Amino acid sequence: MPSSSPGLESPPPAAAGRQKCCAGHPAQPAEEDNPHHLTVTDLGLKRGDRWLFRHMTWQVPRGKLIAVVGPSGVGKSSLLGCLAGMIPQTEGKVVYCCCHHCLHPPHAFQNRIGIIFQNYMLVPNNSVLNNVLCGRLGRYAWWQTLFGFRRRDRHDAIRILQDLGLGRYLHRWVSETSGGEQQRTAIARALLQEPEIFLADEPVSNLDTYLTGRVLGILRQQALHHRRTILCVLHNPDLVHRFADYVLSLDPMNPEGWHIRQVGRPPSAA
Amino acid sequence: MTQPPLPKAPDPPIDPGERPPPPQPPPELPWYERLNVLNVTLLLFLLAVVFSAPGVRGSGRPINYWESFSRFAGGFFPPDFSITGETLLALVETFQIAVMATAFAIVFSFPLAVMGAQNISPRWVVGISRMTMNAIRTIPSLIWALIAVAIVGANPLAGVIALTFYSMGYLGKFFSEAFESVDVEIARGLRAIGAGAVQAFQHGLWPHAKPLIWSYSLWMLEYNIRSAAIIGYVGAGGVGVQLYQYQEYYDWQKFATVLLFILAVVTVLDLLGEWVRSRITRKLRKPLAG
Repeated sequence: MPSSSPGLESPPPAAAGRQKCCAGHPAQPAEEDNPHHLTVTDLGLKRGDRWLFRHMTWQVPRGKLIAVVGPSGVGKSSLLGCLAGMIPQTEGKVVYCCCHHCLHPPHAFQNRIGIIFQNYMLVPNNSVLNNVLCGRLGRYAWWQTLFGFRRRDRHDAIRILQDLGLGRYLHRWVSETSGGEQQRTAIARALLQEPEIFLADEPVSNLDTYLTGRVLGILRQQALHHRRTILCVLHNPDLVHRFADYVLSLDPMNPEGWHIRQVGRPPSAA
Repeated sequence: MTQPPLPKAPDPPIDPGERPPPPQPPPELPWYERLNVLNVTLLLFLLAVVFSAPGVRGSGRPINYWESFSRFAGGFFPPDFSITGETLLALVETFQIAVMATAFAIVFSFPLAVMGAQNISPRWVVGISRMTMNAIRTIPSLIWALIAVAIVGANPLAGVIALTFYSMGYLGKFFSEAFESVDVEIARGLRAIGAGAVQAFQHGLWPHAKPLIWSYSLWMLEYNIRSAAIIGYVGAGGVGVQLYQYQEYYDWQKFATVLLFILAVVTVLDLLGEWVRSRITRKLRKPLAG
């Protein structure tokens, strides 16, 4: 979002525990007045000799759902990969601002980014419940999860799975479930993680109309009630208008032709 | 009532001026372009057969092979079952040696395998690990048994040590291949959502590799039971000691009894292992949707 975008929420309360959770990371220059959750500056990604996007500069306020749209192959998943720190960008930088107003590069923010992968990234020969519990791995030291997860985590995972209609499949292997069930398992894993930012790559591509509304409704609730930011790749314009606050469009013909706009408002120049 | 056949559409007229050209035979590849790895390997093998054929030679003395075989095999019958009790005890000891050796080998080969998997470890670590495993595999189980007997004496402990080292070479290689067959993208995905390296291994790689690891371990157990029956020849405990004694005294009837018991145990274990392995790996064949 351009910095001048209206309707931005007030910043979260001042960080009493900054030194506790963000030691070693520089404080944001604008301090507590800057409410932006994610700042992308001059971001560009080149694949082979082709730029997917370039000179991309925008900021995301907290608690908004941003739909990323564009035709297949334009670079939507690669953009999310850059934001997650999984794909190194060719130029520019990505900076996250945590609730304590400290700046973090993606690799230092990974346990606060929830990713719903396009191909789910689930372990096929493990149970649905165990796959979902993997969302909590970032909260524990390696030796704390050697012999399983805490009972509280298991209860949370079961509650989320029941919310998504997967209560009957808790102990079934992922490879024995359908594509839609696997997609909901991947969504449940991200929800259990309780991240600050969701990066969702086509999270409803395998779901029917009812479940699509339910999943996007849950993500919208995460944005509204928990002030989590959601970047979601969507293809259906109706869903974009129904659930998104902002739309980030990528242009297949022009890597610098991306633009971002508030839903229901005329597009602003990039 | 049957429907009358539909009238056949007339064939389109053929314009002699637009007749397609006759198909050209595919161009012949020169001989050197037909030499792929398979062909070259086959050619080398045939050359090796021609080279090795003169090595198949006997003593040169006029021996009636069939008569020798009949005399030797005839000594096995009837098997002497009076030694059933002590043979069963020796078989139990053989089983114990094999189980303990397999257990130790699983534990020791696991880190070697992780270090030897190309998709997990850096190249130089892979090199060191593989060289170690190759060196261990090069030495046959009987030689390991000789070394162990020289160190700890002629007892079952020597058998356990020998088979542990021998199995480590194989299990390390098999486990490495199991880890390499796993899609590491899942583990990378877990890393991307905050999991540590050990957690990504435990939750992203291990569940996928686990059935293969157990399957290989079970196979190694079967193999070790067979090997444990042999290493007794050099004094490393088990039923092999009995075999050695009866052979030394030309007591072929008792020798045959021991062989029959070994055959029975190995057959049962083979069948059981095959069944368990097929149960373990059955679910692996189902692909992930989406």
